[in-house]
Amino acid sequence: MRKVLTGNQAVAHAVLLAGVQVVAAYPITPQTSIIETLAGMQAEGRGDFEFIRVESEHSALSAVIGASMGGARAFTATSGQGLFLMHEMLHYASGARVPLVLANVNRAGAAPWSIWSDQTDSVSQRETGWIQLYCEGNQEVLDTTLMAFKIAESLRLPVMVVSDAFFLSHTSEPVEIPDPGEVGAFLPPFDPQDLWLDPEDPRTFGSIVMPDAYMEFRWLVQRDMERAKTVVTGVHEAFGRRFGRWYSQVETLETRDADVVVLCTGTVASTGRVAVERLRERGKRIGMVKVKTLRPFPAAPVIEALRGKGKVAVIDRNVSPGAQGVWAQEIKAALYDLPDTERPAVFDYIAGLGGRDISVATFEEVYERTSAADRPEDLDVWIGVHYAEPESAV
Amino acid sequence: MRYVERSTGTPLCAASTRSSLDNRTGSWRFARPVFVDRVSPCSQRCPAGEDVAGTLYLAGQGRYEDAWRLIMRENPFPAIMGRVCYHTCERSCNRVEHDEAVSIHCIERFLGDLALERDLRVGPLPEPSGKTAALVGAGPAGLSAAYFLRRLGHDTTVYDDMDRPGGLMRYGIPAYRLPLDVLDGEIGRLERMGIRFETGRTLGGDLDLDSLTAEHDAVFLAIGAHGERRLGLEGEDLRGVYRALGFLERVAEGDFPPAGRRVAVIGGGNSALDCARVSRRLGAEVAVYYRRSEAEMPAHAEEVAAARDEGVSFELLCAPAAILGESAVTGVRFSRMRLGRPDATGRCRPEPTGEEFEAECSAVILATGEFPDPELVPAEVCGPGGATQVDGFGRTRLDKLFAGGDLAPIQRTVTHAVGSGKRAAAAMDAFMRGTGPDRVETLFRWGPEGNVTLDLPGEAALFPRRNPEAQVVGYHALNPFYFERRPALEAVWVPPQDRLAGFEEVVRGADEEAVLREARRCFNCGSCTDCGNCFVFCPDVSIRKEPGGFGYEVNLDYCKGCGICVQECPRGAMTLSYPEGDA
Repeated sequence: MRKVLTGNQAVAHAVLLAGVQVVAAYPITPQTSIIETLAGMQAEGRGDFEFIRVESEHSALSAVIGASMGGARAFTATSGQGLFLMHEMLHYASGARVPLVLANVNRAGAAPWSIWSDQTDSVSQRETGWIQLYCEGNQEVLDTTLMAFKIAESLRLPVMVVSDAFFLSHTSEPVEIPDPGEVGAFLPPFDPQDLWLDPEDPRTFGSIVMPDAYMEFRWLVQRDMERAKTVVTGVHEAFGRRFGRWYSQVETLETRDADVVVLCTGTVASTGRVAVERLRERGKRIGMVKVKTLRPFPAAPVIEALRGKGKVAVIDRNVSPGAQGVWAQEIKAALYDLPDTERPAVFDYIAGLGGRDISVATFEEVYERTSAADRPEDLDVWIGVHYAEPESAV
Repeated sequence: MRYVERSTGTPLCAASTRSSLDNRTGSWRFARPVFVDRVSPCSQRCPAGEDVAGTLYLAGQGRYEDAWRLIMRENPFPAIMGRVCYHTCERSCNRVEHDEAVSIHCIERFLGDLALERDLRVGPLPEPSGKTAALVGAGPAGLSAAYFLRRLGHDTTVYDDMDRPGGLMRYGIPAYRLPLDVLDGEIGRLERMGIRFETGRTLGGDLDLDSLTAEHDAVFLAIGAHGERRLGLEGEDLRGVYRALGFLERVAEGDFPPAGRRVAVIGGGNSALDCARVSRRLGAEVAVYYRRSEAEMPAHAEEVAAARDEGVSFELLCAPAAILGESAVTGVRFSRMRLGRPDATGRCRPEPTGEEFEAECSAVILATGEFPDPELVPAEVCGPGGATQVDGFGRTRLDKLFAGGDLAPIQRTVTHAVGSGKRAAAAMDAFMRGTGPDRVETLFRWGPEGNVTLDLPGEAALFPRRNPEAQVVGYHALNPFYFERRPALEAVWVPPQDRLAGFEEVVRGADEEAVLREARRCFNCGSCTDCGNCFVFCPDVSIRKEPGGFGYEVNLDYCKGCGICVQECPRGAMTLSYPEGDA
């Protein structure tokens, strides 16, 4: 069935299709309409799930961790400050190996307050042990949410589905809603096997372990994150075979003869598709790489896509103050082992923070500046920042 | 476990290899949560000791018949009570501090009417005790005592000097407040339980207390207060001067006294207002004269308001000095009063100002109070003011003789009379069985008002009380977070202009939907309603369902005594106790 849905409605439809049993969430813009839609669905008698209202995001995540430990398929959603408040429990969730799905609608952090999109909230959860999947359009949001449950439950690791505030969350697009029977075949009910809180045989989970055992648990998370690279690809393929829509961790566009490859994520990639077409019409040799997963980082396909390219321009809608954009760091680390002759120069452009538009013109500027320079002007180049240092400070 | 890494022996997630039940965390505890049944303020204040919290719980579940049965454990007249009781319960309702009191009387009336409509009966009677009790006076006290004695297995006979049973409920309360079919319905139920009625039998006439005492194992005197206080006024015996009770009795019998166009009612109690409102229905202009101000009026505020709505005027701070007229009343001369210092009742004493005025009228109704007739009771038990001296259970100094109702020094309301009869029935039962006062072990005392709950077969299970504690639950002991604020159900009154044509009932009954909603407003203070909040909130899974199905219990092997359950109990039905030594 084809419907016109916002990104947030797409998430809610996916949650309903996935047969989620427990939802706990706390409202925060721009995420709120996800749980409003779910609450409305529940009020209409659609979906057999418990909706737990809680007093904070920390509690929301705690509640779904408990639900998941109790053997239920569970879901929560948040944005920005809400995700920051969840931080402690994000670590807990992966350590406890609960296969949760969390929809994070990217929102810039405060202060100063902003409700608009950038990735700083999710990229700053990079070390929490969550798989992170970034989405470009509303169809991808729906499909990725469905796939997220399968990935999470195969690996017993939590998955964050990331979408851009307003560009996706509040913008409507035609979305194909898969047939529930097909979804059921793709995603059977959650089987917690023996790792759950069984009242008949209660066990203590996540309690203290001594130094002689702690590292093993961390190693297991790391090992399974490595496995996730294969599992995610496998789920993408299984989904494509059943539903005819294909996703990959790294997607390339016109890179074969490109002198500059622009690397981007999320909705920036959809602008990139238009920019590549227009610049190509004008004879510019631009290419694009879209990366879908931040964790686990798909180093091998990234290397494959960029090996031997002259210049890579990364558009980072986030910044790690004191370093540079997070995607640029990841790309550089992945490319380091290439021989000098095959390793591209990496240019990092910080753009679109706090919801500022990243347009075709941004791509043009990035392309022109990158082609014109032999080497990066700076570690990070900020696009369109209106600020002049006072004379005395220079 | 399947999620164990074979190579390292490590489970995927840190998990105990043994059951966590091995860790008896109850040993950490120094405080223990306990389920208690506390007293709700409404029950504490109910002169008949009704279990309001339990009744409204059952009504709120739509279990109307069970709710009715729970009332019938304490009070044989739900339909009457829902109409004439002045519902002290509602004034003490904890909901007052939240939004508005629960409209308990509307629910009680609904349940009483439903039982009449469905012709419900109380549970089976126990084995006959072989004892016989005589009840003298078929008013609310005598009928209440008869009802409870019958339910405890005794043979009971009620004597009364009037033609029909009911006492003041029939002959004192006008039909627009208490319709006859309701009264007859609830008294008829007592007859069908096998209570014998001997009406038209007058104590001191064809009925002799000594022979009654000889023939029965116990006797309950509840003949009311019918002694007339003469005011010593000039003109007190003129034609057209009536006494309130006599006036109301004639009206009840359909023998409307000729009162003329303009009636002066003297007094400020409920009887005065009944006389005034009846006189309005008989077509007169009516004024009520009272010697203090409105704040001191003993009448219930709702009655005063209803009388005003019906066109009764009030003349305050005036006392009769003389009733004027040759052979029939033509007017009253009043002394203008002012308020002085408070008297023994705490109300300001009226003092004459010296000023006088005259009011024209065609009839005077004196509603200045009655007293028990000392001629009718043995001198040994007669106390000051003619009241019979009794203890809290209606026991007199004489063997076999018990007394209650308006004859005893209690507040003169139907509900107090019912409570008085119930307490006497408990004491008479103990006396007749020869178990002594210890038989009161079957009684369950509800707080400091001295009301008792009788352990009647069958009904205790309707709303189980597991761990009663004589402590009243205040608003502060509740968790108001769980209760949404909503206005109370308001009784619907017939518009005043439609009331005066006759004696049709003036307050309408509420419909089921409204009653259900109102019953659910009840906090059920101090009573576990099986809501499950303790179970939901316990972080140690140490609250479990009571094996019987209703309510919960604490698993002390694991309860750490954190107290979250107590905090989250919406209705104050849990407490943390700090026992010495082992908690």
